[in-house]
Amino acid sequence: MEKISLLFRFIILFSVYAFSGNNSQPVSHTGNVVSDFTLQNVNGKMVSTKDYKDAKGFVVIFSCIHCPFGKLYHERLIRLNATYSKLHVPLLLVNSTDTAMFAEESMKNMVALVKEKKYDFPFLFDPSQKVAKDFKAEKTPHAFVIWKENNKWVIKYSGAIDDNGAHPEWVKKPYVTNALDELLAGKKVSVEEGQSIGCAIHYRK
Amino acid sequence: MKQIIFVFLYLLAFKSFSQYNPLWIPDTISGVNFNLTVKDTFKQLRSGNQTITGAVNNSSFWGPTLIMTKGDTVHMNVTNKLNDSTTIHWHGMHLPAVMDGGPHQVIPPNTNWQPYWKVTNSASTLWYHPHLHEMTEEHLGKGIGGFIIIRDAAEAALALPRSYGVDDLPIVLTSRRYDASNQFVVANTAYGDYMLTNGTPNAQVSLPKQYVRMRILNAETERGYDLGFSDNRTFYIIGNDGGLLSAPVAVTRVKLMVGERVEIMVNLGNDAVGSSLDLKAYNSGQAFGFPGGEPNSTGQFGSLLNNVDFSVLHINVASPTANPITVLPSSLVFNVYWSASDATVTRNIAITNGNPGPASVPFNFDNTSFAINTINKTVQLNAIEKWTVTNNQVFGHTFHIHDVQFKIVARNGSAAAVGSHESGWKDVMYVPKGENVSFVAKFEDYADAIHPFMYHCHFANHEDGGMMGQFVVKDSSSANGIEPLNNEVDFMLYPNPAQSKLFVKFSDENASAYYIKVVDMAGRTLLMLPRPQLHEGIDITGLTPGIYTIQLTDEKTKSVTVRKFVKE
Repeated sequence: MEKISLLFRFIILFSVYAFSGNNSQPVSHTGNVVSDFTLQNVNGKMVSTKDYKDAKGFVVIFSCIHCPFGKLYHERLIRLNATYSKLHVPLLLVNSTDTAMFAEESMKNMVALVKEKKYDFPFLFDPSQKVAKDFKAEKTPHAFVIWKENNKWVIKYSGAIDDNGAHPEWVKKPYVTNALDELLAGKKVSVEEGQSIGCAIHYRK
Repeated sequence: MKQIIFVFLYLLAFKSFSQYNPLWIPDTISGVNFNLTVKDTFKQLRSGNQTITGAVNNSSFWGPTLIMTKGDTVHMNVTNKLNDSTTIHWHGMHLPAVMDGGPHQVIPPNTNWQPYWKVTNSASTLWYHPHLHEMTEEHLGKGIGGFIIIRDAAEAALALPRSYGVDDLPIVLTSRRYDASNQFVVANTAYGDYMLTNGTPNAQVSLPKQYVRMRILNAETERGYDLGFSDNRTFYIIGNDGGLLSAPVAVTRVKLMVGERVEIMVNLGNDAVGSSLDLKAYNSGQAFGFPGGEPNSTGQFGSLLNNVDFSVLHINVASPTANPITVLPSSLVFNVYWSASDATVTRNIAITNGNPGPASVPFNFDNTSFAINTINKTVQLNAIEKWTVTNNQVFGHTFHIHDVQFKIVARNGSAAAVGSHESGWKDVMYVPKGENVSFVAKFEDYADAIHPFMYHCHFANHEDGGMMGQFVVKDSSSANGIEPLNNEVDFMLYPNPAQSKLFVKFSDENASAYYIKVVDMAGRTLLMLPRPQLHEGIDITGLTPGIYTIQLTDEKTKSVTVRKFVKE
């Protein structure tokens, strides 16, 4: 029986991670207030939302290295930042994927990815998953648009970046850019909440 | 006018062809070494966004067909690249429990599992699929799984269609529901709305004008298929789950329930080249309790495919091949089956609970839901046992047992009531509402006092919900039992540090390893080696340099000893 109890501990450890909560009710994100955060960037320096004095809002995207769906979006991330950072809505890419489960989600590999893909925006490391938990990020990639209201960051959009991963040329609903254009024009976001599509972010208990 | 009609008919034909997609035929891996990488991926199943799926090796839904030969010892090299732990179970395979890939053999992400066994199964169509407790429905729902074809001399001696993908076709049937983003809806969804045949929506295939063989697998969550052809032609069952029948059985319909395989032959020799027919599910008008017969088209137990007849594969008849099979063999293989009187032990299992209502207990057996630490039955090695599963609950189920192939000996106490279509060796049986079904099996070759095999309903949502039990096969006559010792087993690792191979030397030359795990300093398991053959050492070339521990479980005492080594 010793073998079974050893395996039982094994299974508890990983089954807790494995159960991605598909059976639970959909979580609502828009309207939630999230805190300022400070995380380490791939250049070793700490980056804080408070550093961006002129920011009207942020595009915060949770992604990681190993997820095949996240890998489809490299070029679109660069374009997002290029278009909107000069309009005072910078992009912050955050890796909150559990490093205990996925050894490749290391700062070393994040540095290599930024160099290879030529990211010119922060790729921040959230190994304690604190920021992901604050946003209630679900999958990688999960995109959020947060906007400053009454000195607080309010989630105005949560969900997928757009409606086509593998074929950018087929995108009909660029959810994040639509939300940003509406917010910058002072309008209400027409599609506020959608489903993030990709690999579940497993949270350590 | 004639030209207008011709153009109209041409366009109509073109449209009807263009609504189909070419059936995907899985790649094959043959021989004795099988490298499988289980991964997350995506597939374009509908217009718009891709659907997140799971697959094995190079595919985007499902995995390669493994072709094995009876008598060979096969070595599996399974790497889990999913964003999740999983297991891979070799469904229908007779092998040691520790190689079985059931809920106990959890493979964490980025871990490599290396089971091996001697293939003693007869020529048959088996399959492999995930079996992680409470996650089987989700993982199988993603598309993770694949066929296993066993070949042997007796089958090779028969004039049967055997050209894989040409006149011998693996066909896996399942269906899916989609959400607004084209993602599979699996949770709280017993039935899909759209057919996927080998992961292909609206599949069509060209088959030659001759006898063709189909190895059909039901990999649904719950739905059964009452299969037949669109013109109600006769076809021939030549094999059940565990092997060929003694002779072909002529039918116009066969019910294929979750987990079952059926091998059929159908004659296209009288069809015109260019003509078409469909393999269909005649699922309308089934008695209540038939999974997929419910009247609802939406909801947890509804589906657009419920209680209707629908095509599962569109077949276009093409020219015959160079060496067509044109005659149905009158006999197949010589089978000696168990009968009820062979059994020395009888067991009764009741399907219980599952009644509708907010406070209901999910379906289980004998009022006991699955508990991973509980052994429900102990079977003696070489025992021939008769198990009777009784279903007095609200719905039909399929019952699957690991390790053995069995013979169904009675339905509702009557041998005559056992269908000729299910007269062969099986590992899954349909237990309709209000019936009891008995089988006989011999539990031979493999005993393991601590590592159990499973029996369960093969509806993935039911087994995840606890409709599963465990049995160990125990050899009371020999030293297979555990000899409790408090001492660690004494062994050394060399060379240490090591670069490519690590060797284990026991102080006691009769000692051997029941299990070895290689774990890094962060506690991540990298290698899972059941009963490793250590004479060639452990291949550690895939490990990044660093410090690791070996957790070695001794075969005799099952005690675990931990040693460190350095990979350079």
